[in-house]
Parts: sequence; C-alpha cells; structure tokens
Amino acid sequence: MKRFADALSRAAAQPVRSRAVDTLCPYCGVGCAVTYVADTERNRILYARGRDGAANAGRLCVKGRYGFDYADHAQRLTHPLIRRESAYPKGQLSPLEKRPEKPGGPVDYDDLLPHFREASWDEALDLVAGRFKAIRDRDGGQALAGLGSAKGSNEEAYLFQKLVRAVFGSNNVDHCTRLCHASSVAALVEGIGSGAVTNIVRDIARADVAFLTGCNPTANHPVAATFMKEAAQAGTRLIVVNSRRPIIAEHAALYLPIRPGTDVALHNALLHVLIRDDLVDHAFIRERTEGFEQLAETVKAYPPERAARLCDVPAQDIERAARMIGDAHAVLFFWGMGISQHTHGTDNARGLISLAMITGNVGRPGTGLHPLRGQNNVQGASDAGLIPMFYPDYQPVDDEDVRRRFEQAWGVQLSPQPGLTVTEMIKAARSGKVRGMYILGENPFVSDPDVNKVREGLTNLEFLAVQDIFLTETAEFADVILPASSFMEKTGSYTNTDRRVQLGSPVLDLPGEARQDWELICEIGRRMGFAMEYGSVAQVFDEFAAATRAYATLSHTALGARGRWYPCADPEHSEGDPIVFQDSFPSGKARLVPARFQPAEEQPDADYPFVLSTGRVLEHWHTGTMTRRSRALDAISPEGFMEVHPGDARSLGLRDGDVATVRSRRGEVRIRARITDAVLPGTVFIPMHFREACANLLTDPRIDPDGKIPGFKFCAVSVQAERCDVGVVSAPHR
Amino acid sequence: MATEHVSLTIDGRSVSVPAGASIWDAAARLGIHIPVLCHDPRLRPVGVCRLCVVDTGERTLAAACVRPCQDGMEVRTDSEEVEAHRRMLLELLLSEQPDRSAREETTGDDALYALARRYGIREILLPDGGEGTPRGRDASSPVIDVDHQACILCDRCVRGCDEIQHNDVITRTGKGYGTRIAFDLDVSMAESTCVSCGECVAVCPTGALTHKAVRGLRLEEGA
Repeated sequence: MKRFADALSRAAAQPVRSRAVDTLCPYCGVGCAVTYVADTERNRILYARGRDGAANAGRLCVKGRYGFDYADHAQRLTHPLIRRESAYPKGQLSPLEKRPEKPGGPVDYDDLLPHFREASWDEALDLVAGRFKAIRDRDGGQALAGLGSAKGSNEEAYLFQKLVRAVFGSNNVDHCTRLCHASSVAALVEGIGSGAVTNIVRDIARADVAFLTGCNPTANHPVAATFMKEAAQAGTRLIVVNSRRPIIAEHAALYLPIRPGTDVALHNALLHVLIRDDLVDHAFIRERTEGFEQLAETVKAYPPERAARLCDVPAQDIERAARMIGDAHAVLFFWGMGISQHTHGTDNARGLISLAMITGNVGRPGTGLHPLRGQNNVQGASDAGLIPMFYPDYQPVDDEDVRRRFEQAWGVQLSPQPGLTVTEMIKAARSGKVRGMYILGENPFVSDPDVNKVREGLTNLEFLAVQDIFLTETAEFADVILPASSFMEKTGSYTNTDRRVQLGSPVLDLPGEARQDWELICEIGRRMGFAMEYGSVAQVFDEFAAATRAYATLSHTALGARGRWYPCADPEHSEGDPIVFQDSFPSGKARLVPARFQPAEEQPDADYPFVLSTGRVLEHWHTGTMTRRSRALDAISPEGFMEVHPGDARSLGLRDGDVATVRSRRGEVRIRARITDAVLPGTVFIPMHFREACANLLTDPRIDPDGKIPGFKFCAVSVQAERCDVGVVSAPHR
Repeated sequence: MATEHVSLTIDGRSVSVPAGASIWDAAARLGIHIPVLCHDPRLRPVGVCRLCVVDTGERTLAAACVRPCQDGMEVRTDSEEVEAHRRMLLELLLSEQPDRSAREETTGDDALYALARRYGIREILLPDGGEGTPRGRDASSPVIDVDHQACILCDRCVRGCDEIQHNDVITRTGKGYGTRIAFDLDVSMAESTCVSCGECVAVCPTGALTHKAVRGLRLEEGA
C-alpha cells in the first residue's frame, strides 16, 4: 500500500520565500512578457513563467526561460571603481597571452581588479563630471561622445541623449543600432518616412507568402519563429533567402541559398520578373509611390539569368519566387542582419521596400515590411534619439525649427551639426578628435569591427567612463567604472520589434552600492552644471513622450500590464495599431529608390580565399556579458566555433572539432571547426559572442555610405588547420 | 454571417455556446472547472486522460475536452458515477507515481497531486505499478529533469513541443507499461535537437518534466 501524505505535504524540500513579478524578457526584440519568480531572501531569480503578452502568448525561448541568472552572478559590480595610477599609461589589462589553465570565458577579474580601487560615489561621479567638463571647456563639445545602449529603457536612452546633447554639447551619441539595422532604418526613412515596422510579427498568420531574408529567427527571434512556423503549417508559404541555411528553411516552400553579398542582384531580378510579367499593383504604384519608371529602367538590366550567375541560384527559382510574390494576395517581408550588415545594406533594404511597394503589399493585414530588430529596446532607443542625426522621434538635428524647439524645451543651446556614429567615434578617438567618452552598457571592444583598431581608439582616449553591470572588455580601458542596474532591478519602458511599448518591473534589489542607470546619468548632468531633476522614471517617460508624436498619448499608467503598440490614439480603449500606413506614408508617397549591384569590396583572393560571415547563436547575446554568466546558457553553448562546408574541410584537412587558425587582413583567431553543409562552399561562419575567439578581430570596418553600418557579413579570410588535440588555448585580441 | 449557437444545460444550468465548442469550454463559461490532466486551453484537446468525463445521458461517459456540445444536451459533471470514475482513474495513475513529485515539492503545482487532494486520496489500495519496473530518468539536459516514472502520458509536452513551439522533438516510444516520451529517435534530451525552450516543463502537469534550477527548493510564493 502506498501513502501520499509526505509528498502531498511537500515536506522533503527546503522552504524558500518567493515572489512573482510580471515583467519582460531582457534579451531580444520580440519582447516576450514573462513572470520571474524570485527568492526574496537571497535576491535571485529561481524560474520563469511565460506570460500572455501580445508578442509571445505565453511562449518563451531558452534565454528568457533559463538565462536570467546573470543578474545575481558573483561578478556583479558593486562599488564605483577608479583606475589606479600604476595602471597608466592606459591599455588593455588582460594579458595578451592567455594562461593555458584559464581558457575562454568572459573577462578574468583577477587580471583587471588589481588595477582599480574602490571609491565613494561622490568621488567617482565628481571625477567623471569634472573630467568631461574639463575636456568640453578646453576642446569643445565635439571632443566628447557617448555610446548608449539598446539594452536600456526608453527613459534611460532619452536621458542619455539629452545629457550628450544638452550638457556635453554635441550630437556625438549613438548606440548599437548602428551595428545592426542602421541601413534598414536609413532606407525606410528615405522610402516611407518612418523606420519602424509596418506590421507586427504575428500578422504572418494572415500572409499568403512571407519573404524571410538574411535572418535566422529560430536563433535570434526564437519566439517570433514559433509564429512563423505555425503560419507555415497553416498554409503561409515561406520564401527563405540566406547564405547560411537557417532552421526556418526547413519550413520553407522555397529556399534560395544565395552567394553572400549578392542580395541586390536577387532583389533586382525579382523586381524584373514582377514588372516583366505584369505582376504588379498598378493602382498602388500610381497612388502611393513615386519613382517607378526609374526603378523599372534600372531592373531591366537584371534578368533572372544574370542574377542566377551572380547569386549562384537557379534562374527558375528566382522566377518561381517572383511568381509566388506576384500571385499572392498578401506578402509580408521580414529581414535581419544578413541584409543590413553590408557595405551596401541600405541598397539591400531599398530592394525589399520596392518589392513590397510595387506589389501593393503594405498597409493591409498579412503584408508589410518588418526588419526584425535585435535588442529588446533597439526600436525604443532609436525612437528616443540615441542617434547622432536625430532628436527623439527622428527629428533631424540639422533642422532649425526642430532644434529651436528642443533648445526651448531643454533651456540650452544645441549643436546644429549631426554627430559621430559608433564607428566614426572610434576613428575620431584614434585620431584624437574625440578625447572623452561615456559608454553605458555597450562593449565595442568585442562588438565593433576590427577590434584591434578599437583598442587603439580606446587606449588613446584621455578619459573614459564605463557604466555597466560587469567588467567588460571595454572596461579594461576605463578611468572610472560605475556599477549600474541590470534589467532585473529597474522600472522602465521598452519598445519591441512590433512597436509595442511595454513596462519592465524590478524583480531584484540592486546589489551592493550599484545604482540605477537613469540616476547616474542625471548625477553626471547635475555635476556638470545642468539640472536633470526627475521624481520618477514615469516622469522621465512623460518628458520623452511629449517630445514625440509616436509616444505622445502614452504614459506608464496608460501602458499598464500589457503595453500598447504605437501609434495609439486612444490608449484607454485600444491596444494601438498593429498595422500602419493603410492610406498614406509619413512621407506622403513612398519613394522607390533603385539600386545597382556592386560586389563587396574585399573579395576573396589567393591569400584570403574564404568569405567570413558573423552572426549569433540561440543561447548567447551580443558580447556574452550576460549570457556567458548564465549557468544554463554557458553550459549549453560554452565556446566559439567556425562553421565550414564539408568539401572545404576536406581540402583543408580539417576534421570536425579540430582547431583552425582564421586570418584576415586585420587579425587572426584560433577556433574549433564545426563541419556543416549549412554554410556554402567557400564561406565560413563565426558567431560574434566569444571574446577568446573574437570574430571582430577579423571583420572589415568599412561602412555603408548611408546607414554607416559596417559590413559584418562579408570579409575575406584564410583558414588553416592546426593539428591539436588539447583545448583551445587562445590569445584574446592579440 | 452570425456564428451558429447551440444551447444545453450543464449541471442544470443553461448555456449557449458557438457550435463546435467542447463541453469543457462550455462548462468553463459557467465557472464549472471540470478536472482534467491532459488538456490546457493553449493546446489542442486530445482526450487521453479521461479525467474530464461527464455524463451526457448516453451509454458511456464522454470526455468533455473533446466532445462538442449539442443542442438540447443535458450534461452532469458531478454525478456519483462520474466521480467514482475519476477517483478510480486517479488511483490508477497515482499507483504508478514515484514516491516524490519534483513539481509538487518545488513549485507546488503538480496537477495530479492537486486532484488527489481534491478527491481526498491518501492511500492507494492498488498494487504499486512502479515497483520493480522503474521507467527511469533522464538528467542529461542542463536545465530540465525528466522523470519518466512521474509521466502520465498525457501528451501535453508532445503538443507543447510540436504545436506551440513547433520544434517537433518530443514523441512517444515503447509499448504497454514501457511506453514513455522520447526525444528525437529516442536519444537523451541533451543529445537531441531540443532547444531548451522549456515549453514542455511549462505544460507538464506532473513531476515528469521540471526545472533543474528549483530542485530541492520548496517555493512559498507570497507578496
């Protein structure tokens, strides 16, 4: 006979007082709603429950479900740190030769901490404000720059750009959107006058055809991918285009494995067939677009046979894709960084905009343009003005009326000159034009192209303040490090890839003496003589919202537990608009901008015969600062790798798991090979997250002329097998 | 075109629902929660656990989660026969359960245990089906514990994996008493194509699939 009394009373386990908090996932642009259950005594999160959010309907992925424990990691920064005299002249603090007993992983604290001393908040903040003020007063505002974060809230982004503009005195403020979708935004703003998505992800359920190009949603937008797969099962036909086969291709009606960097040729050929076979929407073209004649003229030169040669896909597949798009009632276009991260990224996006426009696929259910945004708040950070050429809501800094309005609102004179972008800041730091930087929640020493050059720039700075939750690779160059708040400890609003503005709530208490990011920004402003006084985060939101049209009707109260899509005319009775531009575009008519195919500048040659593309894996985020400190995520995905085609592996003498040396004109990394036919012959792939096999030692810093985005998805490298049966012993950033 | 509606009574109360709605959904509208283990509103109903049986006046009891409402139907959800049926099913399921439920002990939301309490079951008079023939565990995943002995083969994880997340990793394998869930072509969870989204843990009603992170911790949720 069996008794259940013991089990029913739950006597066996150790009791823990816990608290459930409704908030958001801190990772990607999908913006999943989640409930975290935290151990209130030990200030740590125990587990996650999916919440019925507009973007996730209770679903989560591995990062949201299991990647929360970075927040209570023992390495959280808990005191302000000031660089010791002995650690000057500045430079990278990690030893160039990594000790063999400590392979891989994030920055080794034992290497860094001895070079810093703990300081009081007053000392640290006075030092930061004093040094920035000295540089500004001596060299002018142009000598200061700020890198904000798309991981922060809208309120933090708003305050950060206000600090740089109103107090530093320049428009040198940018963030990692420059590295992910700057070109998409440039093309969208030029084409329709708005950089945000026209239709939400889940609208794919109403699409006949979805065109997914240069994206890997099962890894990078995993919960969005579940809705895409669901739609595919229910009858939406997916056209998947990529040069590295994504898992979503298994659900595709048609997969086009195109040669890297040839998207413009493909888009032009699709446009060519659509126009040639008269599969276009004449009324839409007439009433809602301009520039069709010129577009038609340009794409005449791109018959499918020509594109087939350039892209290395069969001409009949291009014909078939065009016909699927042309015959469909509703087509939704999704794209990711395989489109945007090219030196012709803006041209890539222009082609997609033209495809949607000439087929009339905007402004209706199941249609539209959706650049899948990466970070949880990259949309919001851009909306809030963390961009060197725009004030909040994409109002140009060089428009005099706009500037006057902001000068009046903020009570200071503002610079009319557009500022420096991420890559330009680093260049200016190297040349000495930028002398001081404030970096909040960014890690350019791993995330930016050609990190050897980034090292030179950061070393050359007269003063660098880094505000973060861990010692990052970038913090190695800091004069002062300010311990800040993680997502799990703050109140704030975040805008997801769908334009849904949602509130995050604190789950944990701040560790040690760490402080809220928004307070620190205000402290620096105040100590530089500019009043930044706010009673609450909600009050900051109100000031931000008042400076925009998109957020004007919203407030923390109006957002409530579920958030709202913007625009939202009546937040009390409506969730906002999941579909925009039904009748017209912000720019009136859409501008069709033709693009000509140009091969990437650094083509493979005899010395560097492979094309390297970088990207991400499901389990990791950006430079791994958070995810590599999550026990679960690190256990599932502990180290970097290079994907190589089986044919190439054979000729290189590489077996699966062997270590290879990958070199470009800018640097080299040693990394384990993973043999897979997901990558095309002649191409290799390395994820960007792993500092000890840092893909960005190799990448090409050349940028797109319009979006100023680097071409992370294309550079020439050589690969050499290295017979070695021990673990990867790497030389980080050598 | 207006949706067609059907009218019926459940435990003597009238309700009108769109044609095609299940008895379970219709009862939920009336605030009557028919006990169920294999069904969840986010999942396609399959009617495998049979705990949601109700009396429709027909020869046999019907599973409310899959049985569509019909006009004029008179449903009893709590007749003596129905309750005896459920109690027997619970005892059969409990007789094979391991001594401890990793879900009940930690997050305290084991649905089988909750029903055992609701039906006042403290002792199982049936022979212990699990004795000597443990179905085994799979602790290979870094995040998820699998206790096959606690699995009641309700298929919620299979549907969560296939139909919510569309990862198509979990299935069933084996026959008779040895039937259990399996990953891919019956490899360990860690070796499988599982992407650790945790949906299976979220939908599992028992201690079969649980989060490793809370192991050994009895969560007492409060403000």
